[in-house]
Amino acid sequence: MDLNAFWTIWKLTELRSFTVDEIRALMDKPTNIRNMSVIAHVDHGKSTLTDSLVSKAGIIASAKAGEMRFTDTRQDEIDRGITIKSTAISMYFPLPKEDVDDVKQKTDGNEFLVNLIDSPGHVDFSSEVTAALRVTDGALVVVDCVEGVCVQTETVLRQSLGERVKPVLIINKVDRALLELQVSKEDLYQSFCRTVESVNVIISTYTDPVLGDTQVYPEKGTVAFGSGLHGWAFSLRQFAARYSKKFGVDKNKLMPKLWGDNYFNGKTKKWSTSAAGGGERAFNMFVLDPIFRLFDSIMNYKKDEIPTLLEKLELKLIGDEKDLEGKQLLKAVMKKFLPAGDSLLEMIVINLPSPVTAQRYRVETLYEGPQDDESAIAIRDCDPKGPLMVYVSKMVPTSDKGRFYAFGRVFAGTVSSGPKVRIQGPNFVPGKKDDSVIKSIQRTVLMMGRSTEAIEDCPAGNIVGLVGVDQFLLKSGTLTTSETAHNMRVMKFSVSPVVQVAVECKNASDLPKLVEGLKRLSKSDPCVKTWMDENGSIIVAGAGELHLEICLNDLENDHAGVPLRKSDPVVGYRETVTAESSMIALSKSQNKHNRLYVKAEPLDEELTKDIEEGRVAPRDDPKIRARYLADTYGWDVTDARKIWCFGPDTTGPNILLDGSKGVQYMNEIKDSCVAAFQWATKEGGVCEEPMRGIRYNILDCTLHTDAIHRGGGQIIPTARRVCYAAQLLAKPGLQEPMFLVEIAVPESAQGGVYSCLNVRRGHVFSSEQRVGTPMYTMKAYLPVSESFGFNADLRAATGGQAFPQAVFDHYALLNGDPTEVGSKLNTLAVSIRTRKGLKPDVPPYDHYYDKL
Amino acid sequence: MFYVIGLGLSDEKDITVKGLEAIKGCERVYLESYTSILMVSKERLEAFYEKEVIIATREMVELEADEILRDSDKIDVAFLVVGDPLGATTHTDLLLRARSLSIPTSVIHNASILTALGSTGLQMYNFGQTLSLVFYTETWRPDSWFERLEENLRIGVHTLVLLDIKVREQSEENMARGRLIYEPPRYMNPHQAFSQILLTESLRHPKDPSSSSSSSNNGDVDVDVEVKESLLPPASTLAISLSRIGTPTQKLISGTLEELAQLSEEEFGEPLHSVVIVGKKLHPLEFEYAGRFAVGGEAGGWWKVGKEVYGVERETF
Repeated sequence: MDLNAFWTIWKLTELRSFTVDEIRALMDKPTNIRNMSVIAHVDHGKSTLTDSLVSKAGIIASAKAGEMRFTDTRQDEIDRGITIKSTAISMYFPLPKEDVDDVKQKTDGNEFLVNLIDSPGHVDFSSEVTAALRVTDGALVVVDCVEGVCVQTETVLRQSLGERVKPVLIINKVDRALLELQVSKEDLYQSFCRTVESVNVIISTYTDPVLGDTQVYPEKGTVAFGSGLHGWAFSLRQFAARYSKKFGVDKNKLMPKLWGDNYFNGKTKKWSTSAAGGGERAFNMFVLDPIFRLFDSIMNYKKDEIPTLLEKLELKLIGDEKDLEGKQLLKAVMKKFLPAGDSLLEMIVINLPSPVTAQRYRVETLYEGPQDDESAIAIRDCDPKGPLMVYVSKMVPTSDKGRFYAFGRVFAGTVSSGPKVRIQGPNFVPGKKDDSVIKSIQRTVLMMGRSTEAIEDCPAGNIVGLVGVDQFLLKSGTLTTSETAHNMRVMKFSVSPVVQVAVECKNASDLPKLVEGLKRLSKSDPCVKTWMDENGSIIVAGAGELHLEICLNDLENDHAGVPLRKSDPVVGYRETVTAESSMIALSKSQNKHNRLYVKAEPLDEELTKDIEEGRVAPRDDPKIRARYLADTYGWDVTDARKIWCFGPDTTGPNILLDGSKGVQYMNEIKDSCVAAFQWATKEGGVCEEPMRGIRYNILDCTLHTDAIHRGGGQIIPTARRVCYAAQLLAKPGLQEPMFLVEIAVPESAQGGVYSCLNVRRGHVFSSEQRVGTPMYTMKAYLPVSESFGFNADLRAATGGQAFPQAVFDHYALLNGDPTEVGSKLNTLAVSIRTRKGLKPDVPPYDHYYDKL
Repeated sequence: MFYVIGLGLSDEKDITVKGLEAIKGCERVYLESYTSILMVSKERLEAFYEKEVIIATREMVELEADEILRDSDKIDVAFLVVGDPLGATTHTDLLLRARSLSIPTSVIHNASILTALGSTGLQMYNFGQTLSLVFYTETWRPDSWFERLEENLRIGVHTLVLLDIKVREQSEENMARGRLIYEPPRYMNPHQAFSQILLTESLRHPKDPSSSSSSSNNGDVDVDVEVKESLLPPASTLAISLSRIGTPTQKLISGTLEELAQLSEEEFGEPLHSVVIVGKKLHPLEFEYAGRFAVGGEAGGWWKVGKEVYGVERETF
């Protein structure tokens, strides 16, 4: 659409419906704020649905809702029709006075402020979802009524429950079921039931007991049905309210009757719990019937029926609407009958928690410090007068090139420009100065989709954009005014940057621009990683091919603005061991006075995952962790208590533990060993890929009595060498990253999928028909290294009928021994070493092993 | 023949006549440059010995010993060490290697800080175990030396504390990655040494027992902090700093730990330095001699503490 026209509409409607001052006033009432994300599988219609909410709030003209995708702000988002970056928007919603009593938490008046974040559905961008969930307390989960629950639905639900974010559900694209599939009422009901059930199965698997019952129930009004495209939606509340007047029954009593096995016999006017009494299911009769009849009469052009129907439903058409026909008329009528904005905002406001409610139970998972310090208490109480606690979850580019808004949530205190705050990066440790800086914030703004509005300050419970913080934070961090504040917990992403490419500029003189561009790129995306490897090539890593493509595009055209040459994508492998070291590895320090004796052994895959997902973490209480390791993985408790560190980067999935008995001065070499271990695990002995799933036990040490003779200079190189020796003695192996690919495909094209996967070492492990559709859902594992160009091949092999979604799932061990010269794995290791500019041959263990 | 020759403490002329004669007949001359430093440049050595001198870094001595020893069964090679050649334990490895290659060796001794500390007036017989004190970092504060200091103090003997030098040290990152990039040289000043000693003392013997949890043990669960009578009360323990011993600018300062800790780095001057902690068995002659260097002269804490705490009467002449 014409951009200028858009702005005009936007400005006009904005002025008419609300002002920034009104919103700012609401920000002071945290009980009346709802911070929520919209999450779903790709193409289930989040952004379109968001439009109907936004139109309700008067930001875009209601006529355009459903076509506009207000929250897709980038040209490539509009071109591709997918959301890439999450976008926030604040909306004002007055809840009808009679409904205020239904809000089962503390409220103050009937005016509400809804801060909504629309997030991407494509798996490659789920780090955006993580960032969105961190700053919100509730989630609107969107599920396509035809496709049902998909892999990404499960991922985002799991993520939201992990963040203690409460879900409500909307089953979207009901119009497709009615128009394309022409299902019967009972079939549609059954299909709704299945979807609700599968969502609840996921919820009950991942729910946190602290949240209470988070399952969704249509009869309690936490499930809505609708069509974002046509701008209508309803929950049972709307119908209960409608019929309660007619029947003179309390709507809260009526609601449960409208779902499940409740039948109403129109002749006898009696309710029963089975169809045997000749009744019809109440949901079909009272809810679906009017909708079906509207669809039927309008789509089949039964012109004479329409006016009576409209009258019955108390709907009046005005002006041009009377001349509409077919789909256009249907849209207009349905939008009047069941306006999506009203139903959804009502569901959100009534069922999702306010910051006051949510921060009470979220504080434990949000705040790293003690739960009784001033910051924790202020977060718990959502206290605007307490010490400032802001979590910055991502950086949003500004129109000013190279600068970013720090986007985050005020959890306690009030943020404003002027006063000095401490900006703490993820590596900040309380009491030290590392990774922190004291600065004042330049400006605070309200993020409104494509634009921003300056506000003077922003109290606890709100989502805010900050100017002047970007250069002190890499991607995320904590802002505080408390001297003693710890960090807010760092976000855990469900995707990892497993696909890498090397980039270089076409003109060598552009290098400074490229370096600057890389900095901006890594700021603007929560998940992308950039670094320079040993031989000086610049590597950019992303979650998948699409993610990487978008990142490189941004880099080339926006952040750096210089022409680039890109290598073919390569994959990051992991080095591991498959057995215990065949003998004790020994390395001597350079001055021969210190000896380290170490053995390596594999960690359980499950434990490795526990560490990667943060369930076993370096900052855990050592005693509790030891108990867990002993109970879950059968570790010796004394061993488990002596874990020195994790690595690489102090949180990686390898463990160094002190298994020595009675060696003097052990704690004085700990630091050196830990430092060496970090580097050793970052660049393993086989081909300098990171290590994964290795446990190193220091069995014995011979140390010089004098600290000068066993300083870092002596111990660090020795400890690193001994790690490599122990690794190479323990049947080293390589792991490759695997995608979980979910493919929606009609039965006839399944053969093409199989053959396409077979060529690429993929294997299908499940294939199920989607109930009520001719489509099959196939699930397969596919090595990331084989995935480049997979989508194109698959399209060719199936005539464009298969739709794949690939998400990184796990690392799989490759068969073979990389140290055995001539083996397939050795060839791979040699090629990795060559690419990195290392000596091509994998070193033998005695390269690192010292004889006694 | 493989000669290991001590150079003494100060400049090129401190070498013994025997050592100088040995050098004159050598084909290759190495100067070990990392356990200690000489106060003069390599060029002055070369001019005086009329030989080219090869600087032997830590990596060279520890990793390329074979190169140093090359052909020394046929020709003469000298390996010069500042101070006494076997004063530090480091070079025995070189001699053992030479023996395993059937290379004849000869050690020519010289003065070392271990003998030169006689200039403090304290008798060498009354010294206990020697310690060295390393640079503390944010996270790494090895304090096992403190136990050995306490052992010495318990039996009343003096303690020589050698101070860390970092001549060619790599940063941790460069070390782990095996890059040969070095930090600028650093030599510990007594000012820092005293503050480190007092830090460890205060952590081991907290004044206020409730603050004992803030010990330097990095959260190591196994170490209990014993709270008992300190053997090293700063106000009533005597100590002496030794700077540039054996050189024309040699400087000694004696006083209580507390007094010495308050002096600035400039008071001690250029490296190298050592520190002596005075034991309880202090002889009146030792007391009188070392008192010549007392902070504050006759009114200094040295005399007061010596009399009241150590129980030594002043010698009269």
